[in-house]
Amino acid sequence: MLHYFRIWLASARYSITRTMMFRGDFIVWSLVELFWMTVNLLLVSVIYRHTDNIAGWNQYEMMLLVGTSMLIQRFLMGFFWSSIFEMGRNVRTGNFDFFLAQPGNVMFMATTRKLDPDGLVNAVIAVGVIVYAAGKLDLQPSFLDVALYAAMVGCGLVIHYSVLVISISLVFWLTSAQGVEGTYFTLTEFSRLPREAFKGVVSQMLFVWLLPVVVVSNAPARVLIGRFGEDWRWIAGPFLFAALWFALAVFVFHRGIRRYSSASS
Amino acid sequence: MFPALEKYRQAFLVGLQSNLVYRWNFAIRGFFSLFHLAVVFILWGAAFEGAGNIGGFDLRQTLTYFITILALQFLVSAFNEDYQISEEIRNGLINQFLLKPINYFAYRFSIFVAARLVSGTLILIPLLFALPVIGDYLTFPAEPWRLAVGLPAVLLSALIQFCIAYCFGMLTFWFLEIQGFVILSLAIEAVLGGQIFPLDLMSPDLFAASMLLPYPYQMYFPAAIFTGRFGFEESLWCLGIQACWVGILLTVGHGLWLRGLRRHTAVGG
Repeated sequence: MLHYFRIWLASARYSITRTMMFRGDFIVWSLVELFWMTVNLLLVSVIYRHTDNIAGWNQYEMMLLVGTSMLIQRFLMGFFWSSIFEMGRNVRTGNFDFFLAQPGNVMFMATTRKLDPDGLVNAVIAVGVIVYAAGKLDLQPSFLDVALYAAMVGCGLVIHYSVLVISISLVFWLTSAQGVEGTYFTLTEFSRLPREAFKGVVSQMLFVWLLPVVVVSNAPARVLIGRFGEDWRWIAGPFLFAALWFALAVFVFHRGIRRYSSASS
Repeated sequence: MFPALEKYRQAFLVGLQSNLVYRWNFAIRGFFSLFHLAVVFILWGAAFEGAGNIGGFDLRQTLTYFITILALQFLVSAFNEDYQISEEIRNGLINQFLLKPINYFAYRFSIFVAARLVSGTLILIPLLFALPVIGDYLTFPAEPWRLAVGLPAVLLSALIQFCIAYCFGMLTFWFLEIQGFVILSLAIEAVLGGQIFPLDLMSPDLFAASMLLPYPYQMYFPAAIFTGRFGFEESLWCLGIQACWVGILLTVGHGLWLRGLRRHTAVGG
């Protein structure tokens, strides 16, 4: 474990040094992420210009939900996105050999090599959105609530990471993942919706439980808002889903590697 | 009939073949777009429960708008043309075009048309698949003028999409990495192109200001014509603005090409 932490630390140090070498790029990418976050908040504000609630959630509850979803996504972009995105291209070009030859777990090496500080910088903005919404709602969470919220955000990160790895692993079968990585972003759109908006058994089974992107953001947001009630599933769900989806990602990734044929001689 | 166009016909055919190689890629992307449509249905369905109509339109009209936008995305959007152009400039592959009697813009546009023909056809499959569910929500106005004005608007939209991608690709002459600019532009396009919400739901001042930019003419404008969000005179006026933007972007693209070539260094034999 310590060995892998050291490897990750070395990669992180390299990524930060590289970012500082291309400061202009860092600023542009930070703006890109900031703009996408603004787009989501803009959608909320436009809809609430015309209605008072969405599935029983008021504007600031919705903002807190969207902020939580953004926070998880910023962490994902910061810690994993570049590595996983490049993995798709590396499999196509044959550069994936580089990871197979490294002395460590291939999935770890291929998905954690690069750190994107711009994503992490914008995580601060996402926290700002959450704090602002919580202030408007006059929430006063206890230390336990905040700790539980943080743990659930961690579970959400694991679930998002797993879904992204599974999406990109399709490249082992399709040769080109161009555009397929966008499917991940489509799935995460669900995480910005309140669970109450999902009507009907099929919709709930498919989007809330089978693809747990809704649980990922709804569960932590509910902890802060106090919408939990006595429903223990909202506490157990994220931890269970994180374990299951991570196991599935490991399985799909390793099945995919079996199909990989190097492009080099 | 037009011998000069024969080379672009060949480029179109090559583009068609190379895009058909990635047909499953497009098909999967199209299939996953249905998930985006599901998000739209769920979000707006919940929003309409709290309000009878939003911006003067009911739920069915709003959902029809988003379905039209989805179809247009696959029919006219530039997917990664900017990136491809950037790669060709960076890797020196454009050198071959400088030595041949071929117009680079026309060559890339031929490939763009081929790619959109493939993706535009493939999006029909998931849409037909989803028709039993979304069919009940589809409601288009029956006025024939909407087709007469809407189809040229779609063609001009495709040109605007391609020209913007072409201009971003040209930036590679000045910047090593253009992906940041492209994604920043994508975010602006997503909002001002009307993909996130119908632009007429914004405040009237913001809406009027946004209609002066090229972005709404990428997708929002034709979708608004087809789904009854624009009247006849308004549509004709906006069609004029759209044509102006095509002219401006074509000029800017050509200018960037000429200025960029002055900076370009062709290396190798």
